[in-house]
Amino acid sequence: MQRSLFGAGTCSFRSSRPSAISRTCRRHFHDPKPLPPQDEWRAHFPSSFVDVRDRVSINNLETGRLLADSFLSGKSLGAGENKVVIEAYPGPGALSRALLRLPKSKIRKLIILESWDRFYQYLKPLEAVDPRVTVLPIDGYTWDSYSVIEEKGLLDDVMKHDWNAGIHPELHFIAQLPHGVYGEQFFSQLFRCMPTKSWLFKYGRVPMSLVLSQPMWDRGTAPYATNARCKVSVIAEATSQLQNAVRPSELQPYDDHFHPSTSRVVSKKAESKRAGQPHVAVNVVPHQDQLIRSDQLDHWDYVLRRLFVLKSTPLKNAMNSLAPGAPTLLKVLTDPELPPEERVNINDKIKNLTIKDWALIVRAFYNWPFSPEDLTFSNAEDFGPGREG
Amino acid sequence: MIPLTKRSTRRLETTLVSYSRQSLPRPARLYSSPSKSAHAPAFALGSRAPDPLDNVPEATPVTRAKKQQQMQVTHAQDGSVTDFGVSETAVEVEHEVPFNLANLRKHLAQVILARRVLPEDVAARQKLLEESVYDVAVERLKHQAELFDEIGLTNKGLGNNDLRKWMWEWHQKLKVRLKAEIATLAVEESKLSDGRGIRLSPFLTLLKPEKLSLITILELMHLQGGAGASKVMKIARALLSVGRAVEIEYKAEMCKKNNITMPSNPARGGDHGYFSRLGYRDLHARRVAAAKYMEDAEEWTSDWSQIIRVKVGAFLVDLLMDVGTVVRTAVDRRTGETVSEEQPAFVHSYEYQRGHKLGVIKLNSIVAERIAKDTVRETLHPRHLPMLVKPKPWLGHDEGGYLYNKTSVMRYKESTEQQIYLRQASNLGNVELVYAALDVLSTTPWKINRDVFEVVLKVWNSGERFHKLPPAVYDQPEPQKPEDFDFDPKAKAIYITRQRAWYNDKANNHSDRCNVNYKVEIARTFLGDTFYLPHNVDFRGRAYPIPPHLNHIGDDLSRGLLKFGESKPLGERGLRWLKIHLSNLYGFDKASFNDRVAFVDQHLADIYDSAEKPLEGRRWWTTADDAWQCLAACIELRNALESGDPHAFESSLPVHQDGTCNGLQHYAALGGDDRGARQVNLDVTDKPSDVYTYVANMVEEQLVKDIEKGNPMAQLLSGKIARKVVKQTVMTTVYGVTFIGAREQIEKQLKDRLDIPVEECWLAANYLAKLVLHCIGDLFSAAKDIQNWLNTCARLIAKSIPPERLSDTLRPTPPSQKGRPAPEQTLYARMRKEQMTSVIWTTPLGLPIVQPYRQEKRKQIMTSLQSVFISDPNSPAMVNSQKQASAFPPNFVHSLDATHMMLTALECRTRNITFASVHDSYWTHAASVDDMSVIIRETFIGLHSSNVLQRLHEEFCERYKGYKVPLPSIRTMIPKLPRTANILQISDDKESRTLDEQAVEDLRLKAGGLPIEEEPEEVEEDQGEEEDEEEKPKKKKAKRGGKRVVSSELNLDDKFVNLTDLLPPVPKKGIFDVDRVKNSLYFFS
Repeated sequence: MQRSLFGAGTCSFRSSRPSAISRTCRRHFHDPKPLPPQDEWRAHFPSSFVDVRDRVSINNLETGRLLADSFLSGKSLGAGENKVVIEAYPGPGALSRALLRLPKSKIRKLIILESWDRFYQYLKPLEAVDPRVTVLPIDGYTWDSYSVIEEKGLLDDVMKHDWNAGIHPELHFIAQLPHGVYGEQFFSQLFRCMPTKSWLFKYGRVPMSLVLSQPMWDRGTAPYATNARCKVSVIAEATSQLQNAVRPSELQPYDDHFHPSTSRVVSKKAESKRAGQPHVAVNVVPHQDQLIRSDQLDHWDYVLRRLFVLKSTPLKNAMNSLAPGAPTLLKVLTDPELPPEERVNINDKIKNLTIKDWALIVRAFYNWPFSPEDLTFSNAEDFGPGREG
Repeated sequence: MIPLTKRSTRRLETTLVSYSRQSLPRPARLYSSPSKSAHAPAFALGSRAPDPLDNVPEATPVTRAKKQQQMQVTHAQDGSVTDFGVSETAVEVEHEVPFNLANLRKHLAQVILARRVLPEDVAARQKLLEESVYDVAVERLKHQAELFDEIGLTNKGLGNNDLRKWMWEWHQKLKVRLKAEIATLAVEESKLSDGRGIRLSPFLTLLKPEKLSLITILELMHLQGGAGASKVMKIARALLSVGRAVEIEYKAEMCKKNNITMPSNPARGGDHGYFSRLGYRDLHARRVAAAKYMEDAEEWTSDWSQIIRVKVGAFLVDLLMDVGTVVRTAVDRRTGETVSEEQPAFVHSYEYQRGHKLGVIKLNSIVAERIAKDTVRETLHPRHLPMLVKPKPWLGHDEGGYLYNKTSVMRYKESTEQQIYLRQASNLGNVELVYAALDVLSTTPWKINRDVFEVVLKVWNSGERFHKLPPAVYDQPEPQKPEDFDFDPKAKAIYITRQRAWYNDKANNHSDRCNVNYKVEIARTFLGDTFYLPHNVDFRGRAYPIPPHLNHIGDDLSRGLLKFGESKPLGERGLRWLKIHLSNLYGFDKASFNDRVAFVDQHLADIYDSAEKPLEGRRWWTTADDAWQCLAACIELRNALESGDPHAFESSLPVHQDGTCNGLQHYAALGGDDRGARQVNLDVTDKPSDVYTYVANMVEEQLVKDIEKGNPMAQLLSGKIARKVVKQTVMTTVYGVTFIGAREQIEKQLKDRLDIPVEECWLAANYLAKLVLHCIGDLFSAAKDIQNWLNTCARLIAKSIPPERLSDTLRPTPPSQKGRPAPEQTLYARMRKEQMTSVIWTTPLGLPIVQPYRQEKRKQIMTSLQSVFISDPNSPAMVNSQKQASAFPPNFVHSLDATHMMLTALECRTRNITFASVHDSYWTHAASVDDMSVIIRETFIGLHSSNVLQRLHEEFCERYKGYKVPLPSIRTMIPKLPRTANILQISDDKESRTLDEQAVEDLRLKAGGLPIEEEPEEVEEDQGEEEDEEEKPKKKKAKRGGKRVVSSELNLDDKFVNLTDLLPPVPKKGIFDVDRVKNSLYFFS
């Protein structure tokens, strides 16, 4: 059974925000390389390939439309017109196709990064039918890829937008994150680029839309005093505003929307890292006021990582793991000279500390003359873009 | 040449066969009465060798040390080196006695003094040497502290970060604290009712608090000093080390207190040689008598449990962390003021490593820095040093080697099983030849090569990087922080990767430097002395010297620093061998002997230049493969040639004879493999054949064929397959290298070539590894058959269950006592738990070998610091059948090469030839090479004429008689089961019946149609393989289905096969006659 990508009549939005405009546009397109029907994906993209096994791709065109809409229109934090979109990890392109189907006024340029050949073969033909599209056979995971985009001049027409003048009106980053360790690294790197205004954020407060697994999202958004609270959630809270793009239930059950399907992948991995986790779609925008000073990012990293090793231990007992002698900082944190709002309750468990507490701890650590010098070095494991070494 | 007599070979054979067969050890419990060792002939214990220290120049006390240098030598009037000073560059003080390493000199001085006073009592002299380091360390630290006091450097906060001063301060505080805490603990524990918990105070009161304190401090510093690149110590390891150090010190103390006297070595193999029945009995009788002499099986000799060690360690380390502090100063970046803080020197914290939360001990960075600057030489223990007297002969499995430090004859990998087997074999008198061979190795006298040492010292003191000697200060520039560091994540990532690599290299440089430092300092200490390296064996019977730092098994530097303690006139043949040796060391070792001699003759000018001006000259020797040894050989050759009468020159340089791919030699001999034998020089040839080149050529030929088929990878690689590319893989085939391993080795070699694009290397290696393994398998098909046979035997053994456990297994699990019903377990699951049989065999010398590989079981132990997980060697655990099988072929071959070495050692001793060995490299004086060559061949023939594999098969059949293999474990084999194998049905009422033929046939037929259901192999990360699987998801499904069929319809669960019925017959031997080795020139060369 061949189902045309843009075939009329098959589309009935489940979204609560149906878009009349997108319907009107669909007839302008002819898909040069239609995606295989959902039930044939397994044969075309078997999960014995690492790129299939470790990544999750939207395999339902309806889902693609739903998400394209929720990323760029309506209540989305990143809603806007005339956008330049960079899409990483598109898979064979269910979402990419949906993005192209949005009214032309929405997107003026779509840059697609896909390094795996089988997926690439389903994307490259799009260039021929739509001049807005550029498909590059490079990996969204490596920093290099973004240099390539710039070197090709694809972002020459994107202006740098003042950080304090609101969200960047043009540039938009979209990705379907892999669910393995690369995905997690990628996810945490995105936030860590904000305080230093590096990567795409040198253009300004670029909004991002991500499709990622529920467990990863839960870790990223875990509020204080919950068990899932971790380094990523603290940094995410300090750097950005997060928003669900669609109700999570709209992407359930997993097998209706994503490839590879649950039952096909046999894995010894922990359940939360296995394929087939519920996925969510979210929008992310950097805060205007960054709590993390760009020269203190390494300190934040270091302090958070060292202390979250003992996340259920009261702060006063955990300080030793920061550095030998670090318990002297407890005096600084509880100094009665300080106004009450600048003091930290050192009896709180690590996971119960608020973002304000963390800022105070990092400040004290930063000012401590004996803080270790080789923060960057010992931070090494955080530096993700694994494939460049 | 000593003619090889048929008689002597046969004599050797018969001894081997008769002794090992008659004395085949069985599992200990099967023994009812120990074999009756016949009436021991009377013998004299004291056939003593001449005093090795006789000609050593006397050591005079140190005069004075210069400050700028780190180290210098003091010469006596006669030119001999008498002492060394090591001075701290940090502290510009003139002191009369440089302290550090001189501590060892002090020991030696005492020993030499003792020699004058007690010329007869060797034991007393070594006793002084083995005097506790801790006693001496206290003295030394105290001395240091006093010194600092005098010159007013004690004020805190003056940046006076001296390690020894800190250690002294911690010691002062810790010993007081320990005394109090132990007293408190003793009171508390006395209140405990009997049998509750483990009491620590009895163990903590064995040593004085002073000593406990020192042990804790020194052991932690030692661990950190050796930690190298990683800055943290894993807590379990640290605690165990401290606990074990306490145990060892206590035992050494007890040894000395009891003043156990020592019988000395029998100098030669008795009147009857080693290889006669009479001689063997004599040997056994002597040892038993000697062991009785020492019998002292008091309670203190028993080992402490791991739990005790960890708990003792935790108690001590905990207190040290509490009292050990340092003062640090730094500048406050806001106020610009200098502030100082008292901080703990050690802290306990947790880290994530590979997803596991690990307890670690971290050092204050200021202490870590200091350790990186000073070496922790205080922590050198006598158990790390060579011995000044001949080591105690091995009198029992834990009695021998050092005089007062208990050492085990075998390095067990925490396997109690091995220990039991060895003890039993030792008690039965089955391992006399092993003990005797170790005694031979242990009593080979050594000296430091003074000429080489002086060059080493000069280079070392210059602090410069020089031919593998690391520089004193790491000389590579730190990577520059890029300007766009904060903004460009890519630049940042690259910088961090580089910086990480730089830190890593720097740390490695430091640990290399420490490593060399140990060697140099030990060499310096023993300069002018004759010394000995006590030996023991690993679990496969391979011999190793016990002192870890400086020994002849070590790197090129260590070997270059050593020479034999005795010399022999070269003679004409010796001179020739010396030249060949030099040529080998240089790397010119593929040519015929005559060509090698010619090579040396052509390079005489270079050799003279190297010998006379090693550093100032052209430095030809530094271009050699083994530079330091080459230098030693250059000097020796020059001295010989310049001596006026080279043939009379007294040479003490060890000359090596190396087996060419020794593992394959054994395989070729085992299999009688004609083709293989020629490749590894078992056969007579006029030029040495080089198996690596041969394989490389085979691969090239294959490439040409593939190019014709249009394979682009073959095109890319054609002409690039050098010997080097395949060498490691060929070498490690013997040790069962896997495809993955081979691919990695080859990938590394390809990358090093630089002429293949990096991104192609992985795929190229993947392709090439297949080819190389295929070619090797083709060339050494006999070796492969034997490997497979060994592997199959081991796999079956590891799946078997002894008869006495079988009935227990068949009984259903009793309900658990806590009232909760135990989870229902299938019979098969219960049976799997009972698969605890490890592969055990006996070497031709009678040494029982037990493969230790089991599923690791860890036990949680609460200590005062944190709970620690350690493995408990005493709890029974399933065997790791995968590991048992894959490790068996290499282990077996190692046990053979060890046997060959020991036979050679014994025979050399009998014929009065000095002998040393590095596994498959045998060393002797140049003049003795011809004689040793004969012996090497003779023993090899002897070993392989005894039908090794057939005997192994017989041993398995006897040892594992009655063992049953559950059918479900060998499901795949059912259709192929040998007709002789009866399938037994056993039920829990112990009745077993043999299935009739029809039933078996049914089973066969049904099973024949079943898909393969094997245990998962060790999964290795590999993308390529996954892609291969792409085509067969259907099969997988069938597999799962198949399993159900087997377990339900056929119900194999209660069916068994006798292990001995399953063991396949020994592979057929080829036509190669091992006797031909006798005339092979290049067998060992």
